[in-house]
Amino acid sequence: MSDRKTRVTVTIDPHLAAYAEHLVEAGKAPSVSAVVNAALTERLERDRRIARRWKEATAQADMAEVERMIAHADAQAAQLPASHRYR
Amino acid sequence: MSEESGAAPAPWILDASVLIEVARGDARTMTLVQELDARGRPLVIPALAVTGASLDIRGDEAAELLEGLERLGNAMTAALLDAEQAVRLAAVIARTGLDPWDAHVAAVADASVCPIITLDAGKWRQHSGDLDEPLHIIEIADPDEPAG
Repeated sequence: MSDRKTRVTVTIDPHLAAYAEHLVEAGKAPSVSAVVNAALTERLERDRRIARRWKEATAQADMAEVERMIAHADAQAAQLPASHRYR
Repeated sequence: MSEESGAAPAPWILDASVLIEVARGDARTMTLVQELDARGRPLVIPALAVTGASLDIRGDEAAELLEGLERLGNAMTAALLDAEQAVRLAAVIARTGLDPWDAHVAAVADASVCPIITLDAGKWRQHSGDLDEPLHIIEIADPDEPAG
């Protein structure tokens, strides 16, 4: 992946823009772009952490048991009125 | 999943009992939800049911596991969108005596004509006749597991 930055135009809420500018003025961030970059990095890390937590948990499941539970749920669903089965 | 020709499967509404197990990191409940999603079953997550589950299981990890539900391809969160829905929720609470998070599940199921999927069918059976139209329930259980 290239280290070159990509220029994009985004629209953000006024209070968030004001906060980003405040961080820059207070010396807490070098630029508004850096603030946005940091926020996106944090979001990316959070999404990856969530995906990893789900993957680790679901890797421990007994698939035969889960298949029985799904079949049991589908059997109950098949007994519902058509109004509750299809769209 | 068998379907009538051309008809899409109806969404299933996840109740707080399911969400609590997700927040707890229960492997079989999470895998079941993930598999339903992967097989094309639309899933609806009432926002107040997330609140109920989050009250039950506190912590950052639980919160992230609950957030993970929204990242499933066929899952969507049902929020309270406006005053009309908020007032309707109050009416469901008044009629059923359910906690707000369970009442939100009931209100979403009633309005959308969809079944509730739950680990606690007994609770829902007590309330299935509280509204004008009956609530329909799908219980998550392993039929091979001895009833306890």
